[in-house]
Amino acid sequence: MRLFDCNISFGRPMIKPLRYSETARDLLKEMDYYGIDEAIVYHARQKDDSPDVGNRILLEEIRGFDRLHGTLAILPPQTGEITIENLIESLRSENVCAFRAFPSEHRYLMSRVSLKPLYGLMVERNIPLFISADESCCGISRWRLIEMILSEAPDLTLIVTDHGCWGEDRFFRPLIEKYEHLYLDISGYHMDGGISDFCRKYGADRLLFGTGYPHLNPGGTILMLMHADITSREREMIASGNLERILRRIKA
Amino acid sequence: MIKSSLLKEFIETGKCRSCPVIDMHQHMGPFQGIYLPNSSAEAMIRTMDRCGVKMGVFCSHAALIDPEENVKMVDVIEKYPNRFRAYWCINPNYPERIEDDLERFSRMRGFVGFKFLSDYHKYPITGANYKPALEYADENELLILMHTWGGSPYDSPAHVEKIAKKYHKVKILMGHSGFGEWEKSIQVARDYPNVYLELTAAVRVNGLIELMVKGAGSEKILFGTDLPWFDPHHGIGCILYSRITDEDRHNILHRNAERMLQPFL
Repeated sequence: MRLFDCNISFGRPMIKPLRYSETARDLLKEMDYYGIDEAIVYHARQKDDSPDVGNRILLEEIRGFDRLHGTLAILPPQTGEITIENLIESLRSENVCAFRAFPSEHRYLMSRVSLKPLYGLMVERNIPLFISADESCCGISRWRLIEMILSEAPDLTLIVTDHGCWGEDRFFRPLIEKYEHLYLDISGYHMDGGISDFCRKYGADRLLFGTGYPHLNPGGTILMLMHADITSREREMIASGNLERILRRIKA
Repeated sequence: MIKSSLLKEFIETGKCRSCPVIDMHQHMGPFQGIYLPNSSAEAMIRTMDRCGVKMGVFCSHAALIDPEENVKMVDVIEKYPNRFRAYWCINPNYPERIEDDLERFSRMRGFVGFKFLSDYHKYPITGANYKPALEYADENELLILMHTWGGSPYDSPAHVEKIAKKYHKVKILMGHSGFGEWEKSIQVARDYPNVYLELTAAVRVNGLIELMVKGAGSEKILFGTDLPWFDPHHGIGCILYSRITDEDRHNILHRNAERMLQPFL
């Protein structure tokens, strides 16, 4: 089973995890340990530091490593700290495949008023946006925030990572039914029978393999996916096929 | 890639003949806040079979709420005597019932001890309402599975330490290993022979298993899943991929629990 991980970060976070990979090279060794073939990654500094600083660190770190694909942190373009032109240029010339939003840490309104040009760009070019279910902005958090984003940009390819392990189907299933470009990573989908039950109802094409490394132990998600009560075809789709399909649609 | 015969067998077949897993932290039945696809006893057994889990020790969700529901767990144990044992839940918010609870417990078979859910019951494990159950469990060398959580005003690892100082014969299972207060939990498990770290939910924290094995020893760690909440393969995978020995993995996944459950089988 080929594993393409959509939820990995590396670098030295402000709050030290029990285990982490300081550099891209270290991360590749960890991926080899777990048998993870490829990954979409972000650098801890993209979240903990100014996104502009973090984006530059990420690009330098992953340059030359074909197994790692970067995601760039976004900001409302109005301040000029991060410009749409620079984002497009990175998509063209660097190993970057998606954007990522950290509205809690970077303190901005995750709304159409702030992000209309970016939403337009992402929809027009099928560029995925990653956001953690733990994010919030101005008192709106978790699935309510996800619902707000999608209600304002229903055609956006939105990949929600890190949903809680304490079963959140009651929150996300209505959103899955309404928004066809919403995807979930399975790093927190530990509920017994959750993946198979989801696949029976919705098919396998909305779930993506993600480990949540370095915060979560990748071994759990790997064994869980290997033996989930689903077909081999569905397993392959979740493990790598769905993410590859999303990336193929990007018009850089 | 990691070298482990256990991992190899689990990857190939989903289970391991030489490592029959025992799950020391289960529930059963539907739950207030979560959609659980596999919550019946039969569905749990199907999951356990798929994952190579030989036996589970559970406390039904209903019993966590209403003490009157405890007795209904007997039906499950009698129906599946080789698959389940149970914890009798003590609800400290009904202190007038506890004496009767203990009397009924003494007449039942298939229970290994008590379940304390202090964070949810909002009553500290060190409070007076738990004293009769603690004394009974200590006198009879029973098990108590305590929900424990870092920073909790009701059941932090420091609360557990106060209990462990006083009661030496009861086996205290720190459910969730005092989630978040890892160093303190490990210290309590290391310093008190009758205190064990139980891995439900905690198991997912990357690097934690290694820290626990180094700090408390694999003989003090027990496997648990909150089933029907968490897929056992997830927890098993976390243990198999941790940087510990296969001997440690055997201890955590079944040997420690086998020793502990011996008087109740």
